[in-house]
Amino acid sequence: MIPVADIVFYLLAAVLVIAALRVVTTRNPVHSALFLVLTFFTAAGLFVLLRAEFLAAILVMVYMGAVAVLFLFVVMMLDVDFAELRRGALSHLPVGLAVGGVILVELIIVALAQHSAGPVTEPAVAVPNTLAIGRVLYTTYLLPFEIASLVLLVAMIGAIVLTLRKRPDVRKQVISHQLARTRDQAVELKKVASGEGA
Amino acid sequence: MVGLNHYLVLAAILFAIGLFGIFLNRKNVIIILMSIELILLSVNLNFVAFSRFMGDVTGQVFTFFVLTVAAAEAAIGLAILVAFFRNRATIDVEEIDSLKG
Amino acid sequence: MAEFLEYMHGMGTDLLGPVWPLAWTVIKIAVLLAPVMFCVTYLTLAERRIIGFMQIRIGPNRVGPFGLLQPIADAVKLFVKETLIPEKADKVVFLLAPIITLGAALTAWAVIPFSPELILADINVGLLYVLAISSLGVYGLLMSGWASNSRYAFLGSLRSAAQMVSYEVSMGFTLIPVIMLSGSLSLKDVVAAQSGMWFVIPLFPMFVIYFISVVAETNRAPFDLPEAEAELVSGFATEYSAMSYGMFFLGEYANMLLVSTLGVLMFLGGWLPPVSWLGFIPGIIWFLIKLGVLLFAFLWIRATFPRYRYDQLMRLGWKVFLPFSLFWIFLTGTIIHLVGAV
Repeated sequence: MIPVADIVFYLLAAVLVIAALRVVTTRNPVHSALFLVLTFFTAAGLFVLLRAEFLAAILVMVYMGAVAVLFLFVVMMLDVDFAELRRGALSHLPVGLAVGGVILVELIIVALAQHSAGPVTEPAVAVPNTLAIGRVLYTTYLLPFEIASLVLLVAMIGAIVLTLRKRPDVRKQVISHQLARTRDQAVELKKVASGEGA
Repeated sequence: MVGLNHYLVLAAILFAIGLFGIFLNRKNVIIILMSIELILLSVNLNFVAFSRFMGDVTGQVFTFFVLTVAAAEAAIGLAILVAFFRNRATIDVEEIDSLKG
Repeated sequence: MAEFLEYMHGMGTDLLGPVWPLAWTVIKIAVLLAPVMFCVTYLTLAERRIIGFMQIRIGPNRVGPFGLLQPIADAVKLFVKETLIPEKADKVVFLLAPIITLGAALTAWAVIPFSPELILADINVGLLYVLAISSLGVYGLLMSGWASNSRYAFLGSLRSAAQMVSYEVSMGFTLIPVIMLSGSLSLKDVVAAQSGMWFVIPLFPMFVIYFISVVAETNRAPFDLPEAEAELVSGFATEYSAMSYGMFFLGEYANMLLVSTLGVLMFLGGWLPPVSWLGFIPGIIWFLIKLGVLLFAFLWIRATFPRYRYDQLMRLGWKVFLPFSLFWIFLTGTIIHLVGAV
């Protein structure tokens, strides 16, 4: 009898491959983005099978909660003529298939050439996955960790600078201006002689 | 019994699909960015699989860094895309040629 | 109780053989979800009655005694109505969206402990799991808005997606000090760590920010801009009718229940009594009392505050809550470091 974990693996692997294929082949980019989400989700499932619960949760939170939402936002907001972009795509099909196929064959040959992977070595003391990562991340890999945070900072500032634009035709509320206004600037008293108004 | 090889082959397929996607959608930057995400995901899968079958948590730490870089790349890539679309009203890769000398 | 469970196990194994573990899990899921769905449906009635009371109205009181059968009548009405699908809609995505919303809201319950024993799946990254699953809810909204092929729906869904993503960040950050104090991501351990003092006392500002953030995250008044009736008709739900609308509705209330439960677990000590001599009252009663208080606060806020403006909402999330909770994380870390390991 096949172990349950193996059935789950094959199920997830099948969904992963189909979803990934749909990402690159579907006509509608919104569907592409949604299939990308499905791909990430099944990958998170595979991470759980590999006992990397922490990374699985992070994958769902970061990729599905943020990155894929970003993709969806851009695809939905930009008014792009996607049919125009599809034109001539089929002419690239042979090249794509050839390159993809060659790389695939190469990688599989390399992967199967290694027979070193013996039985899984379980650690002597069962440490929660999160704790194990934390211990290594904040000691041995402290410097790369700090650099990664810098990368994120740069990306954040870069994205803001690239997309921020001042639109002169839009009136926006500037709260500091409102608060800094004095009575003299806001109110003008007019003396109207009686009987001569209006 | 599913072993390391199964995961490596799966990651290889995913990698190939990502590469195939870049060639197939040569004009559409958004799909190209998605294909790059697929490629990075296949790398992550390899890292985690090795980490599991070699009993070393370092692989997962590197997955962590790959995730960081992928998120940064997506943010910057899409920001550039939006800026480009505002200026040229298209996202066709072949139109990004105004810097030719 | 334990003997009964043993008996059930024996019966099941005899009857079904190898399929029994699967069937047992299904039974457990059903036993968990039935009360949740019951609470969700009656939360809608409670909302209408309580807000009615606050606004000196009566509220629904015709169907059954005190209107107690009203939710059932509503459910029947939604079931038997025709599901309309706009002609130009993307049908698959259109129908998938409410399923994802409700599914995400219900899946997260798998790791919620109601007492030290009463938990479906005790995993060691329980909190991360809840956060990860609840971040999927945004897809239901985005998909519904896009697939409806309608301007109101699309604007509403973009608003709510941006709002949810933004407030998820500040909500996550308010929970980090809790994790730092308890030293665990397992919800059971977080509650156990509060036996000396509920985390609401040392982390009171975080609790306040958490509560405001989840009100925004669940798109409830005064942050219900995605559905702002006055400007967007009904936001992402404009084109939905009958059961597909009902699922959005249930999803919203299930989410409300979920984030309130999470607040009880993270800040209010879960099933722990406030003082130890009150320990003779069972933990589940305490749990439900605290949950009721938080849910009442949800409704109270809705009856009291006017709706926020969208730019003010974003400013609050990114420029006030986020820096403040970051500072509080820093403060918590410093204090833990100075006092020594907790």
